[in-house]
Amino acid sequence: MINIFKSKLAFASLILPLMVFGNEIKLQEEKELEVVNFNSIKKVLQEDGLSQQAINKKKEVEKLKVEKAKISAQRNLYPQEEDMWGFLTEYFLVKNAQLLNWDYQKPEYGIDQSFKELLEKLGFYQKKLKILVLNTPSIHRGILPGAHKEDIYLISLPFMRALDLSKLEISLLLLEDFFRSEEGMVRSRIKTKSFDEITGSSIKGKIDQNFLKEMMGKYDSSLKTGYSFQQQFEITKKMDSYLKAHPDLWNTYFRLLRKLNDFTKGNNLYKNYINLYPSPEMQIKWLTPEKKVL
Amino acid sequence: MMKWIIPFLLSSTLLAQNKATDEKVVGLFYFLPILGHVHQSPEKTSASMTTIQCSHPVKVIESSKVIINEAWAYVEVADYRGFIRKEFLSEKRPDCFQGRYPNFFDGLNLDLSELYYWGRLYDQYIQVETRVR
Repeated sequence: MINIFKSKLAFASLILPLMVFGNEIKLQEEKELEVVNFNSIKKVLQEDGLSQQAINKKKEVEKLKVEKAKISAQRNLYPQEEDMWGFLTEYFLVKNAQLLNWDYQKPEYGIDQSFKELLEKLGFYQKKLKILVLNTPSIHRGILPGAHKEDIYLISLPFMRALDLSKLEISLLLLEDFFRSEEGMVRSRIKTKSFDEITGSSIKGKIDQNFLKEMMGKYDSSLKTGYSFQQQFEITKKMDSYLKAHPDLWNTYFRLLRKLNDFTKGNNLYKNYINLYPSPEMQIKWLTPEKKVL
Repeated sequence: MMKWIIPFLLSSTLLAQNKATDEKVVGLFYFLPILGHVHQSPEKTSASMTTIQCSHPVKVIESSKVIINEAWAYVEVADYRGFIRKEFLSEKRPDCFQGRYPNFFDGLNLDLSELYYWGRLYDQYIQVETRVR
């Protein structure tokens, strides 16, 4: 009897764990099946907002594809107008580096601080520009268009030294050029018909070398031909109206014009200055208050 | 013989440790202008060690042995160690001219001297920026 009980117990001890484990395996399989079931995923995804994220992601990818297509189309384009101005000016400066002689050791003149203060005093804020000091007497001063209106102001070191210009006097000369740029006189002197046609267009085969040659010629002549009497009159009057509120600045400007007038008349090396910026003598006349006849 | 070798080895290990602790990599930056130079010394007109293009990665290093003006960074570019003005470095990869118009820029076929001068140009500019109102 005891033997029969023992054998039953042994059987039960073998069977019970099998039954228990058998149940667990089944449950796991069921769980796995639930996970694989798409409907249950969909529900979970919806609850977590992941399906919306997937839609957003798809839209984002579409946008990126459009942007990528735009970029690859732009790869074969001539630069847009603003980029083109900045590029051409620097290309001109690089091509004429030896002639303009701007790569030399120079001290800090403090022109940046002086010109910055002058512009801010007159109410010109958020303006960005660059100055390049040339070590040549052949170009006295000038202004070239920069990218996004960050123009490049050129001034000759021998010219500054010969005239013994102070930082404020240099800044006042730069201010004249600043107004020229504001009046659109700088770009209009260089711009050509082909500039408008080529900027932003696609490159057909090789780069149009004739365009580059033509533009380099225009840059060169812009520094050599100067401004008309009418343009000079407009700038002088603008200087007058801005500086009148600051008598010290107005007097310095007036004295500077006298200095320029005397200097250019007596110095053969700088005689053509009058042709480029006509003329200090006329500017003095335009600035001098009319005498009232009683 | 061993008397001499052991102190020598010890001192050289110490020196190596010193060198390692003296230097610190500040971070990886990107070059901003179209072209530029890694300078031999922290001066605008100092000789160029190598010319780099916009977006070129530059490792900025801090070293107790190199004391420089705040406006300059001590950098490592490829095998060269030199100096670049901090205003020419950006933490983010810049949107470069040659990246926007690669076919135009490549089509210019700038020669070595032109590349050199283009880099020098940014060193020679006197930058003016008036404040925000």
